[in-house]
Amino acid sequence: MKKLYFTPVITGEKEAALRAEVRSFLDHYGAFNVSNIIDSWSICDPELSRALAEKGWLGMTWPTEYGGGSRSYLERYVVIEELLAAGAPVGAHWVADRQSGPLLLRFGSEEQRQYFLPKIVRGECFFAIGMSEPNSGSDLASIKTRAEKVDGGWLINGSKIWTSWAHVCHQMITLCRTAPPSDNRHAGMSQLIVDLSQKGITVRPIITLAGEAHFNEIFFDDVFVPDNRVVGQVNEGWSQVVAELAFERSGPERFLSSYQLLEAAIKELRETNLMQQAEPIIGKFVARLMVLRQMSLSVANQLQEGKLPINEASVVKDLGTSFEQELPEAMRLILATEPRSSANGGVARLLSDSILKAPSFSLRGGTREILRGIIARGLGLR
Amino acid sequence: MSELAQLIEQSATRLFEDFSDSNAHELMEAGQFPETLWSDFLADGWLTTLLSESDGGSGLGLAGGCVLMRLAGYYSVPLPVLESLMAVYLAAESGFTVNDELLVPAIISEPLKADSEYTIRGVPWARHASSLLVILSSNNETRVSMLSCQSVTIVEGQNMAGEARDDVTINTTQLNDSQSLSGIDIEQVKSWLALGRAAQMAGSLQRVLEMTVEYANDRSQFGRAIGKFQAVQQQMAVLAEMTSASICAVDAAIDHLASEQEWELIACAKITTGESAGYAAKTAHAVHAAIGFTQEYPLQLNTRRLWSWRDEYGNEAQWSAKLGKHCFQLETDNLWSWLTTQTS
Ligand SMILES: Cc1cc2nc3c(=O)[nH]c(=O)nc-3n(C[C@H](O)[C@H](O)[C@H](O)COP(=O)(O)OP(=O)(O)OC[C@H]3O[C@@H](n4cnc5c(N)ncnc54)[C@H](O)[C@@H]3O)c2cc1C
Repeated sequence: MKKLYFTPVITGEKEAALRAEVRSFLDHYGAFNVSNIIDSWSICDPELSRALAEKGWLGMTWPTEYGGGSRSYLERYVVIEELLAAGAPVGAHWVADRQSGPLLLRFGSEEQRQYFLPKIVRGECFFAIGMSEPNSGSDLASIKTRAEKVDGGWLINGSKIWTSWAHVCHQMITLCRTAPPSDNRHAGMSQLIVDLSQKGITVRPIITLAGEAHFNEIFFDDVFVPDNRVVGQVNEGWSQVVAELAFERSGPERFLSSYQLLEAAIKELRETNLMQQAEPIIGKFVARLMVLRQMSLSVANQLQEGKLPINEASVVKDLGTSFEQELPEAMRLILATEPRSSANGGVARLLSDSILKAPSFSLRGGTREILRGIIARGLGLR
Repeated sequence: MSELAQLIEQSATRLFEDFSDSNAHELMEAGQFPETLWSDFLADGWLTTLLSESDGGSGLGLAGGCVLMRLAGYYSVPLPVLESLMAVYLAAESGFTVNDELLVPAIISEPLKADSEYTIRGVPWARHASSLLVILSSNNETRVSMLSCQSVTIVEGQNMAGEARDDVTINTTQLNDSQSLSGIDIEQVKSWLALGRAAQMAGSLQRVLEMTVEYANDRSQFGRAIGKFQAVQQQMAVLAEMTSASICAVDAAIDHLASEQEWELIACAKITTGESAGYAAKTAHAVHAAIGFTQEYPLQLNTRRLWSWRDEYGNEAQWSAKLGKHCFQLETDNLWSWLTTQTS
């Protein structure tokens, strides 16, 4: 049984100063170009992303030689949680900053790092995640999209689905089969960086139940990718995907998606004088949020120390997404209002938005059942 | 963890592991005090863990004490570890001379009438104590009285784990002779006791998780270990999540002792351990099935404590209400800025 470590971290003056700087930036930035602030990290606003880039808040932890800020994971944590808590639509650069950049730093070639990282840092290059396929969701090792070796590169055929923001992103790290399936299901896959403006690529939007054009279907028809766009080792893509998950699953976006509702509910309950009956419920959710922050910060600190706490990240994501899903369920019972999807609905609109978006919280980035399976493996049960 | 904390852990583990071979639990549940264990505990000098060095303690304070409490919880130690340490500390802070006797804290939250009888409910271990340390608030000051247990009426009671929780009747004139506990608020005392319990619960949760994982790997049905069944794995994963959240919450509260957010993080620790306790007990018993429902199998030592402790020194609902009320009162009208002061 592997122990799960969540040693709390106390941040210092440096982080406090940075926090103040982010708040002041947001105070002066003005209104965001979007109407929805629930789950703001799944909403794109390239203009905001570029403004954040100018502040040096993209690629913060990356080495300065690639344009990064050489700052700590704790500092990055502070910046991203402030942005999320403010409901800032940070979706455009989110994947590139959170996982594609770190993946290239870990496994990418020198040329790839020099080419892509400075562009990401400047807010000029957004990345999509090309993993899921119509018949491969949780069972990612069963993907069919294949890349065949040709002179000077690879030819991709197949399709991906549920690709968030593929219509806005410039590049996509695409998991492909580069060798036929064998006894080792996890062998024979590679990650290829695909330029989404390439010939042979068709991106088709899929509208979510909340009415948003968020994710897409992507078709590859003889798409050529040069040799120098393979990330890491050919056929070793699986272990790289697994490493990516520690970055993907542990951040504050895994519990702050519906946070705006909590703040608005407290205000509303105060104004309508419904505080007393709500106290135990508000206190319970606030306590959960406090612990999740401690746990997520602790994972950030472990990433700083060069560890890959994959099990801990799964714990944060499962507890965190349960929190952000249960929050609207609890708030609707203490607020004296019905959810409203109309534009200026105030707390009723936040309620509506969070209820409509909540199902996705525990699906994207690995479902609840899959995460619990990973944790069970860590416990020594599988 | 500091070196001193590591030392505490090593030597306390040695002591508590020896305890588990004894019949102390049966003794305790039959109403007797486990004298041998207690004298070993005293011989190792644990009683003064919370005292400052100038008061003859080890200077580890409540933070160090919580390391000990977590282990006491892990091993279901049938001794008043939290109560004795806290009472000795508060007695010393109020200027009483303390020796190696069992003192237990008893808190009175209500205003008292002069010269009348008053019953303090559920005082832990009162029947075994030599004195009671009564803590109350009077004229906005925390005051402490030391009452010999010979001078009070005790009606014995016990919690679900068989730990003594006695009703103690005193005459309020007995409290006239009291000392001021300067610099310490009664609410603070209550929160420290809650933190001590939460630390014990975190240890107990860890033990429950370990026992359940071990059992799930050992027990076979349908030709394979029951831990291989996904339905079992999914519950165990949640058990591990809640256990690690509880440990983290307690550690965070310890880190914030003596800070401005002290009670808020303690509240959070007691809420988290309290919520986890119910889930852990339910899941551990489900996985162990019938064998875990027996007295002979040691799982019950932990689960009965968890069920009892989650309601002691404030349950999840009480601490949540307090925390929730605080959120509504935040002057800045901003939950987020308050939340983020906790880690900086
Ligand atoms: C909003 C959103 C954005 C997304 N963005 C992206 C993206 O950008 N890029 C990308 O590649 N993907 C993306 N996804 C896809 C996401 O990763 C998948 O939805 C997820 O991995 C689950 O796959 P599936 O939907 O095919 O469900 P399935 O795998 O078919 O699962 C269906 C159900 O069966 C359960 N199940 C499956 N296998 C097991 C098992 N072994 N044991 C127990 N239960 C099991 C699942 O937990 C689930 O409850 C996104 C999804 C959403 C909702």
